[in-house]
Amino acid sequence: MTTLHARLSDALARARAGEAFGPRPGSPAEAEPTALAAIALEDEAAIAWLEGHQHPDGGFGLRSGIVRSDASTSVAAIALPSGHARERALDHLVANRAPKVPSNPDTPHDPNTRGWGWTPDTFGWVEPTARALLALRLGRPSATPQIDDGLAVLADRECVGGGWNYGNREVLGFDLPPYVQTTAIALLGAQGSLPDQSERGLTYLGSAWPNEPGGLSLALTLAVFRLLQVGTADAVEARLGRDFETHAFLGDVVSTAWAAIATGPALERLRVVA
Amino acid sequence: MSPRRIPRREVLRGAAIASAGVALGGVGVNLLLRPDRPWDASVFAAPGRARVAVVHASSYEGLEAIVLDGLRAVGADLSGRSVLLKPNLVEYDASTAINTDPRLVAATVLAARRLGARSVVVGEGPGHRRDLEYVVTASGLLDVLTAVDAPFVDLNTAAIVRQPLHSSFTSLGELWLPAPVVEADVVVSMPKMKTHHWAGATLSMKNCFGCVPGRIYGWPKNVLHWAGLNEAIVDVAAGVRPELQIVDGIVGMEGNGPIQGTPVRAGLLVFGNDPVATDVTAASLMGLDPMRLPSIAEAARFLGQGDPSEITQLGEPVASNVHRFEVLPRFASLEAGSAPSSGSLEGGPA
Repeated sequence: MTTLHARLSDALARARAGEAFGPRPGSPAEAEPTALAAIALEDEAAIAWLEGHQHPDGGFGLRSGIVRSDASTSVAAIALPSGHARERALDHLVANRAPKVPSNPDTPHDPNTRGWGWTPDTFGWVEPTARALLALRLGRPSATPQIDDGLAVLADRECVGGGWNYGNREVLGFDLPPYVQTTAIALLGAQGSLPDQSERGLTYLGSAWPNEPGGLSLALTLAVFRLLQVGTADAVEARLGRDFETHAFLGDVVSTAWAAIATGPALERLRVVA
Repeated sequence: MSPRRIPRREVLRGAAIASAGVALGGVGVNLLLRPDRPWDASVFAAPGRARVAVVHASSYEGLEAIVLDGLRAVGADLSGRSVLLKPNLVEYDASTAINTDPRLVAATVLAARRLGARSVVVGEGPGHRRDLEYVVTASGLLDVLTAVDAPFVDLNTAAIVRQPLHSSFTSLGELWLPAPVVEADVVVSMPKMKTHHWAGATLSMKNCFGCVPGRIYGWPKNVLHWAGLNEAIVDVAAGVRPELQIVDGIVGMEGNGPIQGTPVRAGLLVFGNDPVATDVTAASLMGLDPMRLPSIAEAARFLGQGDPSEITQLGEPVASNVHRFEVLPRFASLEAGSAPSSGSLEGGPA
């Protein structure tokens, strides 16, 4: 009987479109699924594709009109080996943080923080901030102002009681609830830092993950639990396996890649060493 | 069939960007620089007469016949055409009513087939929850679609096509749209009847936000808010151009919608062949003054019919079926009969 990691890796490899990976099996290649698959499979062809599709400004992602989706730059920076392309990607992250946005009673937040948005020049959100934070901590720990800012964003946006929503902790006077996927990715970015917030986030994640099954949520939860040696990681992996057998993550390559990362040796590449 | 209707594939594949478009730096729009008629009049003929049907429905069971009648009432022409149903599937919370009920979606699949549709698929790209698998399984949508043998398309990860916009209320200029949306002969927008804490209400036009892929626009699709939420509602709806609308008001949501609001049992379905006319009717049923919703007021200038005298109201009368939805205090001025606000309704997540 093959292991879950082997089955996930096989499914991911079969999703390949030419030398790289699209968001669905066989669909045209894009940066985020290619970067995650490159990490999961240690895939040199995918790395070569990334190097060949880096924008002149060092970023990655689809661009249309004035909208640039640069949020995949962070996972590309993690996937790329040390060298010029990775440095350019990290330069892009350093230079392209979200703008400072004044706080207001509708969406209170620390106006001195920035983080990273899904697209440039828009608000910094939890997932892109956590991923950029992870990329910089792994690839350019000397980027202290940017790393400190990313951590400050996560600290500021923590939900009441712990865990993370997509971006804000409060809107129009209503506390926003945390979710599994966003909490897990925030914890990946915050590894070894923000001890109080991380402890509360882990407590939330430990109780909430069974209630929000889905490939992406479970895969990210497993990644966090393995890296932080949480005892219930085996239970999460078992549930992830059942979910994969039942729905195959609806063919979502990003979910499959995260699951392959979380169940295999590539996860160590995401470990932040203090 | 409305004489003003232009085949949507022809429109979506058109090459010309609205000549009225303005190129602005950044995403934000300077309203002072926006032209008076920010749309391409060669693409959007003057709105004609619209048909909207309001139907009582006390539960989500046995809806196929009701949906069939509703679609027939508004003159739905699905024979031999490919149909994409676009429900509103944002997030899942068992304690409230966020999403278009899956049973209504399944009933619409069956009704569309009975009307001769060549194919029927269901597609959505949630703008909140990135883990789509969780939402479609927890909500029960995947199970009901399996039961009626209808495919689901994830619009956040589907193949995409770059499309010029023919309106320029925002400075977006163009959109990436999923190929299943562009290639469908008919898109049916199927929103939940809900209040919305930034837009006032979310109906068939706002529901089109789920057609743009999160992998470009983010989770949430924040760049659309930064572009000007009401303006983006108009531009995206004008880019998608849903030919038919079915609003799920059997159980809607009031208060702090679209996610944290309170379920409200209105017992209504609204069918339409014009997104503006449908939203005018649905907003009226919610006890709102539709023309105080900026997106409806602007869209009524070119995208669809906003004049009640030009809307053929079928089924139940609107006036005797108003179910006042509670709105947040900031939207009190939207309520029909209230004093108009002199302030801006613009807002959105930071």
